[in-house]
Amino acid sequence: MVTEAQACLHDSDATFVRAAQQGDTEAFGQLYKRYARMVHGILLGRVRHVEVEDLVQEVFLRALPRVCELRDTSRFGSWLATIARNLAVDHYRQSQTRPESPDDASDPDEQPAKVNVSSNREAAEILECVRSLPEAYRETLILRLVEGMTGPEIAMKTGLSPGSVRVNLHRGMNQLRQKLAIGKSRNASDSKNGTTV
Amino acid sequence: MRAIAKTGLRSDMSERDKRQTEHNEYLWEGTGEPDTEIQRLEQALKEFRATSLVPPAFPVIDYAPRRSSWWLATTSKTWAPRLAAATLTLAAFTIALVLSLRESTPPDSHTGWSVELSEAPADTSLTTSKPNRKLQIQVGETFETNRVSTANIAVADIGRLELEPMTRLRLLQSAAGRKRIALDRGTIHATIWAPPGEFVVDTASAVAVDLGCMYTLSIEENGNGLLSTTLGWVGFHSSGYESLIPAGAAVATYKDSGPGLPFFEDASEMFRSAVSQFDSAKEGSAQRLAAQQVILRQARPRDGLTLWHLLSRVSEVDRQAVYARLSALIPPPADTTREGILRLDRAMLDSWWNALDLGDIGLWRHWERSWPGPETQHK
Repeated sequence: MVTEAQACLHDSDATFVRAAQQGDTEAFGQLYKRYARMVHGILLGRVRHVEVEDLVQEVFLRALPRVCELRDTSRFGSWLATIARNLAVDHYRQSQTRPESPDDASDPDEQPAKVNVSSNREAAEILECVRSLPEAYRETLILRLVEGMTGPEIAMKTGLSPGSVRVNLHRGMNQLRQKLAIGKSRNASDSKNGTTV
Repeated sequence: MRAIAKTGLRSDMSERDKRQTEHNEYLWEGTGEPDTEIQRLEQALKEFRATSLVPPAFPVIDYAPRRSSWWLATTSKTWAPRLAAATLTLAAFTIALVLSLRESTPPDSHTGWSVELSEAPADTSLTTSKPNRKLQIQVGETFETNRVSTANIAVADIGRLELEPMTRLRLLQSAAGRKRIALDRGTIHATIWAPPGEFVVDTASAVAVDLGCMYTLSIEENGNGLLSTTLGWVGFHSSGYESLIPAGAAVATYKDSGPGLPFFEDASEMFRSAVSQFDSAKEGSAQRLAAQQVILRQARPRDGLTLWHLLSRVSEVDRQAVYARLSALIPPPADTTREGILRLDRAMLDSWWNALDLGDIGLWRHWERSWPGPETQHK
C-alpha cells in the first residue's frame, strides 16, 4: 500500500526530475540525496566495497546528460537502477581487460566481488552470503539490511511492486538464514576436526 | 551459457523459519516485534552502508536547443533583422511545404551509429592484427562482419552491441526513444541502459523488446534462433505468441512458429530437451504430448516460468494438467480462479505471472502496445 507520505515523495521526485531536465543541477543534487543510498546498495551487491562510492558518483554522472530523455518522470528510480546495474557490468568488463588480480571476481553475478576491507570478519562473511543469493534477493536484502531502507521505500525507489519486494525480502531472508546456518555448522565441524579456515 | 540465479528453497530449511519470515513485519518495514536475528544482521552490515551522500558538483548541461546568431538577430529590436526574420520564416515555410509534398525519407534517416570494427588475422599464429576501423552505420543501411571480424556498435547513447563474426544487421530506426534494428543472421550481445522498451530487435521469427537488460541473440541463416538474458529481462513476441525471458533464462525462436517456451538454463538436461522437443513438434502430435508430460514431471518451482508460458500453448484439455502442476509449484494468487486461467483470462494470467516474482508484467504490457511486429520483410 502506498502511503500519502510516499505519494508526496514520488510527486516531489517528479518535480525534481522535471527541473533537472531543464538543467537545474540543484534539483539533480536533490535526486542524488534521495537515490544515492539505493544506487550504493545496488552496486554493493555487484562490485567491491572499496569501489562502490566512486561508482555511485559515476552512475549519477552517467545519468545527468540523459535525464532529459526520460519521458516518464515517475520512473526515475527504476531508470537510475538500470544505469547502476549496467555500470556494474561495464566495471566488471573493464576489470577483465586489466591485468588479472586475485581480487577480481570471474563474474559479477556468479561470483560476486570479495569483500576486502572489513574490520569485522563476521560482517564480511554475512555480506558474502548475501551476495551469493540470486540477483533479485541479493539486491533487495542489501537495500533492507545494509542501507536500512524499508520494504515500501525499496518498492517506491526501485519501481518494483510492493508485492515483489515483499516476496524478495522473505524468500531472500529464508535463503540467507539457511546459508548462514550451513556456514555455522560447517565452521563448527571444521573446528571440531581441527581444520584451519 | 551461464545461469545467474539458483533459486528454490531447500527442503531441509525448518518450517518454523519459513513461517517466521513470511509474517515478519520487522523485515518488511522495521515495525512489529523485533526479530533478533535480523537486528544482528543489520548491526553487522551497518559498516558497509553508504557514508557520503553529499552530491558532487554536477556540471551544468544545457539541454535546450542552442539559439544561433540568426535567432538573436531576429529577436533584436532593429528593423533590418525583423525583415530578415520574416524572409527566413517565409523561406522555411516554403521549403517545409515543398518537402512535405515529396516522398519523404524518415526524419531520423541521417542519424548514424558509430561502429568499431576489429579484424583478427585468419592465421591465428600471427601475433599482429589489423588496427580497429571506425565506421558509421546510417538508418536504412546494412552492416555485416565477416569470418574474422567482430564489431562494437554504439546504440546511439543508450547502449552497445557486440557483433560476433558472420553477423548481419540492418539499422531500421534511430529516433529519440525508439531504436530498432533487424538481425538477419549471426550473434549480437546487447547491453542497453536506456529505460525499458526503447530498443528492439526484429528477427525473421519474432521481435525482441529490451526491458532494461543485457542479452545475447543468435539467429541462424534459416531464421531460427536463441535468445538468452543475462541481466534484467527481454520480451520476445510474434504474431499470437509472447515469451518473457528473465535473467538466467533463454528461449528458442523458430521462423515458422515464433518464440518457444522460455526455460531457465540451470534446469535439468531432461527438462531442457523436453522444452526443445515441445517447441519443434507439431501441435497435437504424440511427440509434443510426450514432451509436455516430461516438462510437467520435471518442473521445479523455478520452472514455473516455463509452465506459465505452457498454459497458453496447449489445448484446453491439456491445460488442466498444466494448471494443476503450476498450482502445486506456485500457488495462484487470490484474484485468480481456475476457470479464469483455463479460459486464458489475460488479467488473471498476468496476476499469476507477477506471483512468479520475475518482474512486473505491467511493464511488458505497456511496451508491447507501443512496438508492433517486424517493420520490414526479411530478405
